[in-house]
Amino acid sequence: MQSALDPAGGDASRIYWLTMTMTVGGILIFLSVTSLLLYAIFAPPERRAWLGSRRTIIYGGLAFPIITLSALLPYGLIVMRDSDVPKAGALPIEVIGEQYWWRVRYPADGDRVAFSTANEIIVPVGRPIAVSVTAADVIHSFWIPNFGGKIDMIPGRINRLNFTAERPGIYRGVCAEFCGDQHARMAFDVIALEPAAFETWRTEQAKPAQDPEVPLLARGRELFRAGGCGSCHAVRGTEANGQFGPDLTHVGSRRTIGAGQFPNNIGTLAGWIANTQHIKPGVRMPSYGSLTGEDLRALAGYLESLR
Amino acid sequence: MSGRRTGQVLLMLAGLIAWAVQFTVIYGVTSTLCGRGWADATLFGFGIVPATIVSATLITFAATAVAVIWSIKSHRQNAKRPAATTDGFMSHVAILINGLSLVVILWHGISALILPACA
Amino acid sequence: MNAPERPGSFGEQEPELPNPLPRPEGEFEALKKAWKAPRGISFITAVNNTYVGLWYVGTAFLFFILAGILALIMRAQLAAPEGDLVSHDLYNQLFTMHGTVMMFLFAVPAVEAASVYLLPNMQAARDLPFPRLSAYAFWAYFVGGLVFFGTIFFGLSPNGGWFMYPPLTGTKYSPAENADWWLLGIGFIEISAIAGAIEIIVGVMKTRAVGMSLDKLPVYSWAMLVFAVMIVIGFPAIILGTLLLEMERAFDWPFFIAERGGDPLLWQHLFWFFGHPEVYIIFLPATGMVSMIVPTMAQTSLVGYRLIVLALIATGFLSFGLWVHHMFATGLPKMSLSFFSAASTAVAVPSGIQVFAWIATIASGRMKLTTPSLFIIGFLFIFTLGGLTGVMVAMAPFDWQAHDSYFVVAHLHYVLIGGMVFPLFAAFYYWAPVASKHALSERLGRWVFGLMFLGMNVTFLPMHITGLIGMPRRVYTYPVEMGWDALNLVSTIGAFMIAAGVAVFLFDLARNFRFTLEDNAGNVWNASTLEWLPNGTYNTRSIPSVVSRDPLWDQSNLSKDVEDGRYYLPGTATGGREALVTSPFDARPQYILQVPGPGWQPVLAAVFTAAFFLLLTVKFVFTSVICGVLAVGCVIWWLWETDPGPVRPPADIGGGIVVPVYVTGPMNHSWWAMIVLMVVSGMVFTCLIFSYLFLWLVNPGAWPPQGVRIPDWIWPSLSALLYCASAVLIAVASRQLRGADRRNPRSVPILIGVALLLVSGAAAVDLWTQWGTNLSPSAHAYGAAVYAIVSLQIFFVLTTFIMGIYTIARWLAGRLDSVRRTTFDNTMLFWYYTVGQGLTALLVVHGFPRLTGGI
Repeated sequence: MQSALDPAGGDASRIYWLTMTMTVGGILIFLSVTSLLLYAIFAPPERRAWLGSRRTIIYGGLAFPIITLSALLPYGLIVMRDSDVPKAGALPIEVIGEQYWWRVRYPADGDRVAFSTANEIIVPVGRPIAVSVTAADVIHSFWIPNFGGKIDMIPGRINRLNFTAERPGIYRGVCAEFCGDQHARMAFDVIALEPAAFETWRTEQAKPAQDPEVPLLARGRELFRAGGCGSCHAVRGTEANGQFGPDLTHVGSRRTIGAGQFPNNIGTLAGWIANTQHIKPGVRMPSYGSLTGEDLRALAGYLESLR
Repeated sequence: MSGRRTGQVLLMLAGLIAWAVQFTVIYGVTSTLCGRGWADATLFGFGIVPATIVSATLITFAATAVAVIWSIKSHRQNAKRPAATTDGFMSHVAILINGLSLVVILWHGISALILPACA
Repeated sequence: MNAPERPGSFGEQEPELPNPLPRPEGEFEALKKAWKAPRGISFITAVNNTYVGLWYVGTAFLFFILAGILALIMRAQLAAPEGDLVSHDLYNQLFTMHGTVMMFLFAVPAVEAASVYLLPNMQAARDLPFPRLSAYAFWAYFVGGLVFFGTIFFGLSPNGGWFMYPPLTGTKYSPAENADWWLLGIGFIEISAIAGAIEIIVGVMKTRAVGMSLDKLPVYSWAMLVFAVMIVIGFPAIILGTLLLEMERAFDWPFFIAERGGDPLLWQHLFWFFGHPEVYIIFLPATGMVSMIVPTMAQTSLVGYRLIVLALIATGFLSFGLWVHHMFATGLPKMSLSFFSAASTAVAVPSGIQVFAWIATIASGRMKLTTPSLFIIGFLFIFTLGGLTGVMVAMAPFDWQAHDSYFVVAHLHYVLIGGMVFPLFAAFYYWAPVASKHALSERLGRWVFGLMFLGMNVTFLPMHITGLIGMPRRVYTYPVEMGWDALNLVSTIGAFMIAAGVAVFLFDLARNFRFTLEDNAGNVWNASTLEWLPNGTYNTRSIPSVVSRDPLWDQSNLSKDVEDGRYYLPGTATGGREALVTSPFDARPQYILQVPGPGWQPVLAAVFTAAFFLLLTVKFVFTSVICGVLAVGCVIWWLWETDPGPVRPPADIGGGIVVPVYVTGPMNHSWWAMIVLMVVSGMVFTCLIFSYLFLWLVNPGAWPPQGVRIPDWIWPSLSALLYCASAVLIAVASRQLRGADRRNPRSVPILIGVALLLVSGAAAVDLWTQWGTNLSPSAHAYGAAVYAIVSLQIFFVLTTFIMGIYTIARWLAGRLDSVRRTTFDNTMLFWYYTVGQGLTALLVVHGFPRLTGGI
């Protein structure tokens, strides 16, 4: 699900082969060195005498590493040159790391408009992706093992990461740099779609939220307004336009909630709203434990309906 | 520490000192030029970043090569005359250190041939 | 200058040692009396290297166990997904403390401690050159370390990870005192490490057995020399880093705050410029130990001595070109990264040389499979693997994947446990007979080794995979469906196996280790080096002359001759403690160093120093300042008794060699120590200038920022003039302090006094100048950097001021004259340094912004 050993992009496979080459080479060297050591200890003195001289050190400790590393170093540099390269026509995405979630922005791309989402990155298969990252508070690190290496998100700096997804699927990314209390619970989904499906998703995401038709959901919407949720969260198309927390315009369409923590359904949404500080202590959002069960269902239902 | 001893120590560490100089120059220049966005400047038709790296590498490599030759010479002299064992030891270690430094300096130069200046 | 008489016959004509004549009556008794340890409560005032060394090793080992227990709690938490044994907050403190304590309170002190014990013995020196300094370093570490560790019981431990990256550790995101504990607590433990390093450098260079020239120096001494030089170069970076971060936290000077021109990456550069060499700082002493143990166990001389020396020196250098390989993912240009890739690759070569040198040595002898041997074999196995994964992470693209994942956790534990803990356990088993009545148990030792070796691999081998399949480090728990469960469970089981091994070791210690000096178990392994000579608190009865690297094998009857006082300095020439100082290259006798004995001063100074820092952490500023003043007072009290002067005419130390009991100038041991201290100070200052330039680089067009005026050039010129004038006065004083009439001329204190006024004036003018431009230290990183430079300079001027007053007081008390002038020389050296630093600071602060003109 989240593995550097299961590459799904060009960079990741380039690095994967570097990894494999070094692993196999390393194992061979390790076996040779330990065999020599055991030979030096256990072979009969007359048979191991040749090993006990300066020559051994010159060949084994000096010449061999210099030759091997003279080959490995340029190989490593070439992989570095060819990985994480900006490409023309790439899809730009901006990701901002915050304690402990991911603000994701899709800037305008040609005639397609910009929009924001959170904790989920959807990419088209085959088209290069150019992610620009930074952090709003402390240092985070953006890592999708299946697509390649990680890049730190540093306040005051904008770093870039380029990759291309080569097969559709659901992947996972995590924060790799310790960022405080809930560093352990800061992940996100990465979904690679066929280009057409991606376009559909993009069009849907750019739209404002739809007004609820069912009374229960309308009540949920009212609770959302009355509870002041909009001072932190935005739901485009409504009066809620807070910018502190994740944009919830299409929260119902996301796979998971809590920054990649729980599958997204009415139950988990309700649990999250009522027990935030219990489930993920230290996050910015307080627990709303005083809501009645019915109110909670309505509110969660409303959010779930924002697809 | 007498002047002769200081000279011996310097010769013994010459290659590594040359490496330290090369390292400081190439890292400092790359960071400054890339940090200020002057990566595209050219020097006699070469990109300024690779030009600096290549020339710093060549100069320090040459200096280290001279140190290798000196240490070999001084080692031969030490072997001929009935010098104290310390002298022979130091000139021998000097050959080894300077020799290894040649390789290390080269390794630091090859990036200029492979990588783009500031990407 | 008071040079010793040329040891006439030495070198050209072998002195007639061992001297077969009987030793005079009472000589040995006088020696024993001089070195007698204090009894009762005063026992803690002992400063002798054997006592301090043993306490030091014991304390370091205690921290190993404590930090190990923290690791066990973490492993228990991670045994299953969604574990809830400890809270996230406690877990974050646990891993921060585990890393911090293991690195700063165990690893560095442990290798330093071992050398306090072993180094003088190995070089047949009576003691380290500054025994009270080692006592001070130990007590500061002991008190400070225990209080620091105690914070874990109050939930006050630092929780930002052992590398404390801001902005997470800045006031905004860590308002509580947890981070201050790290910054101040670790800050002064670094000072203790530097004190130890100065001691080791001077000890290796100046106090050796006669004839132990550089080519006959034990490899361990070489390793410790490189180790100490690396501390001197590397630790100042972290000292400066902690200073800057603490200033940011306490006074809101924005060095690392991006909104106000700071940069979080500056911390990472400073931290890793120390942090990477730190790994080799820990590793090199361990390889030194291995190079001592392997020849003994194989009963043959070390093969490739010169190649090993090459490897040690090359590692020392190259390890300073690696720091950015901890920052491969920070988005620096690929070209910059590649230099660090190359250096990281290059540093593998010296390690390879050492590994093959040991294999060659083993092959040329016959390895006995004792417990120390087993630990060495385990070390080679584990360290080779760790070294290979080290080459892997040196390749930046691979590191982009592995960085901050469990792969790195695996790699660093392979390197550190393999490269340091296993050699240390080998050393415990190997050298226990030097300090104990009985050797440790071979039977139990096998269990210790077996459990630790298996446990180590069971814990950390799976982590390579855990990391590559995506588990980031420093997570207090992980979700169920990630596929990490089984690997983590295995790792947890392994951790408890290691713990079981350590427990068996403790049992072995309790059963067999009985500290003693005179009737130790002796040379049970038939080793070849001098620490196996019969010894007491005075170390060896007489100081041998050695002709090879394996004196106990090559010089027959050496032990007996040394024990019977047939070599150099078999008694005491001055009636007190003494060490024989030898020349740094050829180890010829130069003079007799009068070594200070037990005293309360270092203990009290250390306690007050620790109290100063710790009270500052909890913001008891007033009490803290009182403790600081008391600490300085204790140091002055301690120094007052030093610099004894020539208490007697030059003494015959045997073999027809006559050496003085006091010298001054560049031959003097404290001159060397002062030079090293100046290098340390110079490195702190260099790192500060680097920080200044770094902040310039990240602030294009804002250096100085809009609206900041650079002071008129006249003021810095005046300041520079005052600095130069004060240095000239000191030079004049030094010249006048050279007459035959020891107490003349009387102008010396006046010259120093006037120079003091000038140097203080210089610093005051510069501070006043900056203040006058309304430059604010908290508005922008520019102001913060300028004031940091000015503040550091004021600190040096203040120190110079205290030293100057002290020097004048020595003169007035009749303890300073034209012969007995080491105190003056030290003050003079430091003075020149302060002036040099002041001039450079003026040049940078006032010249650089003019030069770049807002580029």
